[in-house]
Amino acid sequence: MFLFFVVFLVIPVVGTVWWSTQAGGIVGGTTNVGLQNFQRLPDLVGATAAIQNTLIFALLSIPPILIGALAISLVLARVGRGAAAYRFFVYFPVLVPGVVAGLIWLFLTNVDFGLFDNVLRAVGVQPVTWLGSDTALGVLAALDVWRNVGYWAIFFVAAIIGLPQELYQAASLDGASTAKRFWYLTLPLMRRILFFAIVVSTIWGLQVFDTALVLTNGGPGTATTTIIFRVWQYVFGTNDKVGFAAAISLVLIVAILTLTLAQMRLLRSRRGDD
Amino acid sequence: MSVAVEPRHGNPGALQAIAAEHARSRRRRRLRGLGKHAFLIVVTLLLVAPFYYVVLASFKSSTEIFTYPPKLLPIPPFIGNYQKLLGDTGFLRWMFNTLFVAGTVTLIKVFMDSMAGYALAKLQLTGKRAIFLAMLILLMVPLGALIVPLWALVNWMGLTNTYLALILPPLANPLGVFLMRQFILGLPKDLENAGRLDGLSEFGIYRRIILPLIKPGLVVLAVIIFTDQFMSFIWPLIATSSDDLQVLTVGVAALRSHGGADYGLWSAAAVMSLVPIGVFFFVLQRQFLARSLAGALKQ
Repeated sequence: MFLFFVVFLVIPVVGTVWWSTQAGGIVGGTTNVGLQNFQRLPDLVGATAAIQNTLIFALLSIPPILIGALAISLVLARVGRGAAAYRFFVYFPVLVPGVVAGLIWLFLTNVDFGLFDNVLRAVGVQPVTWLGSDTALGVLAALDVWRNVGYWAIFFVAAIIGLPQELYQAASLDGASTAKRFWYLTLPLMRRILFFAIVVSTIWGLQVFDTALVLTNGGPGTATTTIIFRVWQYVFGTNDKVGFAAAISLVLIVAILTLTLAQMRLLRSRRGDD
Repeated sequence: MSVAVEPRHGNPGALQAIAAEHARSRRRRRLRGLGKHAFLIVVTLLLVAPFYYVVLASFKSSTEIFTYPPKLLPIPPFIGNYQKLLGDTGFLRWMFNTLFVAGTVTLIKVFMDSMAGYALAKLQLTGKRAIFLAMLILLMVPLGALIVPLWALVNWMGLTNTYLALILPPLANPLGVFLMRQFILGLPKDLENAGRLDGLSEFGIYRRIILPLIKPGLVVLAVIIFTDQFMSFIWPLIATSSDDLQVLTVGVAALRSHGGADYGLWSAAAVMSLVPIGVFFFVLQRQFLARSLAGALKQ
């Protein structure tokens, strides 16, 4: 295990740093260009657009995912009959591979026969071009909400069930309303859980790739070209610029490591020790 | 409320008032219960509607798919899409590849992770803390961000277009070791000490004492690994270019990008892709839901 960990994870992470200083193709020879790749990165329209798109995607998808999941879990944790069935259906989209999810959403967003536009037609509204350049990124975020809300909902249910019941009984006796119990008890008690969820869902959100490839192929134009999409294009597309690919990857890796470390620090300081 | 102290002798008016109050609160509770179910049913319908719509499309011919208003029940069902998918594409081969790779990775990893987790939890190793910390830090780095060096490495090893290229890199993921370490740390020490007194080797303790105790954890771990593997896309995409080695996600993505739009075929592919994971989920519901909770263990 430790061998695999070193060979296929530690070495590649370090390798990314080396590759990011290279120019040329992944199979042909490369030359060392120092930090030039990074200096040129901000000027590369494709690279900045990819980073921008990824951040917007994260901002659009994560709040609805977590707020929706919290709402669902608050109800789901307090429901008796049928809980197992609800859990099954709420969790099912989580198990859909991104590629398949992208295919499924083609059937929702198609202008001629898509579910969304058929619903609009049924209520007499003009159909919308869902995958146009203004809306495609939003649709991609919506897909992510559909696919991930169940994961965090189930996660939160477990957290809510684990909360100390005495506090709630005491609050009820004191006549605290449901809203007040949520605001003054549930939210503070779940602070760490929520923080964890925000960090992890951000890390996941930054990796979006397969849904963008299948649903929109990064387009129209570069409207849904994400970081990993761009890395893939740089390496295996027509323009063989492996140094740029590694440089953008490194930006992503550093972002993810920063988030991970921030999380470790915060959780540790709250608990006192490891 | 003071009348409630002596309900039997209290005046009938107060009794009635109490009864009415009870009925009211019961009604309110039932109403709230109904509200909960209504909310959950709406959520469920929203989440399930896309599946229904695709299943529907998969049983329609190309012209029927484009018909408005859409038929909401596929009667009579059109099975041409499925015939085409199973007969004219490599779908069954992709499915086999996915199940084979995911199954192999899961088997190896469950065994390896539990042993490594045991080592990290119980053995005196130099540099144990450093290894653990490195794993924790790199826990979240995805294969997608490492495709350049990883591809170069695998190519250098001469493994491109082999099953090994698909199987080896995912083994590096430290999540399983981490979960197993936490799980094993939670076990009572007495049992292994008893084993040690009886002269068991460390491997003997792992095999005879630890392994049976962590069985439920192993099943959850297997589900986590298998699901991740089933869904993985970018690494299989770049590690293989031969048709024979394509896994399900890669094959399905190729259906989408090569050739013209064939919505009937695509919908059938989407439905068929979900069959194995759907069956596993139905059988192992509890373990799958625990997959979501594995994140909580990380704390």
